[in-house]
Amino acid sequence: MSLLELDAVDSYYGQSHILRDVSMRVEEGEICALLGRNGAGKTTTLRSIAGARPPEVRTGRITYKDRDITDMETEDISVLGISHVPEERRVFANLTVEENLHLADVVKNRSNTWGRDLDFEHEGQSIEQILEDFPRLSERQQQMAGTLSGGEQQMLAIARALKQSTDLLMLDEPYEGLAPQIIETVEGAIERIRDEGTTVLLVEQNAVAAMKIADRCYVIDQGSVVFEGPAEELRNDEETRERYLGV
Amino acid sequence: MSLVGELVVLLVNGLQTGAIYVLLAIGLSIILGTLKFVNFAHGALYVVGAYIGLLITQQISIANGQLAEWGFPTLGLGWGFIAALVIVPPIVFVVGLAMERFVARPFYDRPDTDQILVTFGLAIVVQELIHALIGPRSYTYDIPSEIAGGIPFSGPVGVPLSAVTIDVWRVWVIAITATLVIAVYAIVEYTDFGLVVKAGTRDPEMVRLLGIRITRPYLVMFGIGAGLAGVAGVVGAPLSNINPEIGMTILVPAFLTVVIGGVGSIRGAVLGGTLIGMVQVTLISLGTVSLGSLSINFTPWAQVGIYALAVVVLLTRPQGLLGSEEVTA
Repeated sequence: MSLLELDAVDSYYGQSHILRDVSMRVEEGEICALLGRNGAGKTTTLRSIAGARPPEVRTGRITYKDRDITDMETEDISVLGISHVPEERRVFANLTVEENLHLADVVKNRSNTWGRDLDFEHEGQSIEQILEDFPRLSERQQQMAGTLSGGEQQMLAIARALKQSTDLLMLDEPYEGLAPQIIETVEGAIERIRDEGTTVLLVEQNAVAAMKIADRCYVIDQGSVVFEGPAEELRNDEETRERYLGV
Repeated sequence: MSLVGELVVLLVNGLQTGAIYVLLAIGLSIILGTLKFVNFAHGALYVVGAYIGLLITQQISIANGQLAEWGFPTLGLGWGFIAALVIVPPIVFVVGLAMERFVARPFYDRPDTDQILVTFGLAIVVQELIHALIGPRSYTYDIPSEIAGGIPFSGPVGVPLSAVTIDVWRVWVIAITATLVIAVYAIVEYTDFGLVVKAGTRDPEMVRLLGIRITRPYLVMFGIGAGLAGVAGVVGAPLSNINPEIGMTILVPAFLTVVIGGVGSIRGAVLGGTLIGMVQVTLISLGTVSLGSLSINFTPWAQVGIYALAVVVLLTRPQGLLGSEEVTA
C-alpha cells in the first residue's frame, strides 16, 4: 500500500477542467518529483491533495495512509502529517522570522488541536538544525518577514515546512528565486529528511535539478499524466524530456 | 476652584469619557483589522450590555413595553453595579459568539456593502426589539452606590490651591478599562492565539495549511470584542441615559475612534478614544467664553470638535495615528 494514492482524479477551477483522470502513487520514504511545463496542472495536483480550495475535486479519490482525504478540510489533512509549501513564498510578512517558524509548532500545542488527533510519525527538524542550515535566517530572527529579500522569504517558507512534523512534505517550486548555493542547501535538507524517513513530493519547473535528487518521477501535461517511472528512466528518455519538459 | 484643580477634573472626565470609546473601539478595530468585517451591529452589543446591566443593577418600571402587558410591570434584580460588571461581560461574550457564527461568518467573503447592510439591519432589529419589549423611555443608571463619592484633591504638596472633588466611579471606569486593555493587548501580542490571529489576517489559507483551525481564534476574537462592548455599556451608562437608540448614537464616535487611531491597532484605539474623550469634555467644560463683545458657548460644539479632529487626522495620516498597512496590536 502506497503512502499516498490518487485514483482517477478530476479537478476543476470553476468551469475549467484542469486535472483529467490523474492517477499517481507516492511510496513511503521516497522523493517523488512531479514535473511538467507551466500550466500543466502540477500546482493543481498539490492543492487537490492538500485540500486547498479551489480547485474542486469532482471525481476520483485521494487516499493517504489508507484514509480517504478527498473531501477533508485543509487543516485536518495537515494534522495527518501532510505539509504543503505552496509556491510564491507564503510567509507572514507582519510577523517576525522567529514567529513564522514558531507557527509550524503551534498545532502541536494541545490547546490548539481542538480534539483532533495529530497523526504523524516524523518529528520536524529542530530549530537548532534549521538555523544551522539557514544561517541567514538565524541572523534575522527578530526581523519582520516582510522585510526579507525574496530568496530569504523562500528560505523561510521551506524552513517552516521542515520544522513541521510531517510524513509527507509537498514542495511547490522550492528552488524558485534561490541562488545556486542556497539550492544546494535546500537539496541537502530534502535528502536528509528523506533519509530520516519523511516522504517528499516535489513539484519543479527546473526539471534537471529535480531529477537529480528524485527517486521516481511523474510528468504531467495538460492535466494528464504522460510519464511515470524511476528518475533514471526519465533521464534516459530523451523523447519524453524534450517533448514535455523542454530539456 | 483653581486652574490646576480644574485641569485635573478635566483630565479625569476626559479619560473616563474616552475609556468608553476605547472599550468599544478595540473590538470594532480588531474585528475590522483581522477579519476585515465591518460591524455596524457593534453598538447593539453596547445596548445589550447596558440593558442587561440595568436589569441586574436595579429594578425598573416598564411603562410602554410589551413586557408590562405580559405581567412584568417592574423588572430587575437590584443586585447592584458590581454584580452587573461581573455578569454582563460573559453574557455579551456569548452573544458575540452567536453573532460571529450566525451573522458575521457567512459574510466574511462578501463585499463591505453586504456586511454593512446585514449588521445595520441587525442593529435595527435589536433596537426595535428593546423598543417593543421594554419601551421607548430613557432610563437613568444610578451612580453606583458602592463606588459613589469623591476624592478630595488638593494638589501636590506645597502648591496652594482650593480643593476639588474627583468622582470615584470615574476613576474606577478608567482603571477597569486600563486593566482590560492591557489584558487584551497581552493576549494578542504574547500568546499563540494572538499569533494565529495576526497570521490569519495576512494569509488564512497558509494558516490552515499549517494545520491550524482558524475559525476558532476568529470566533473567540469576536467574542472578546463583544465582551468589551458589553463592559462599555455597563460603565458608560451612568454617563448618559439608556434608551433603545443609544447603540446607534455611540456607534459613530466608536468608528471615529477606530479611524483616528488606525484600523486593527489596539494602541491606536486607546490613543484615538482618549483624544476624542478629551476634546469632547474640554469643549463641554469651556462653556460660554466671552471675548470682549463676542460670546461663544462651546458646549454644543463638542460633537463638531470630534469630527474636526477626525478630519484633521484623516487629511494628514489617512491610515490613522498608529495605523499601518500591517495590522499590529
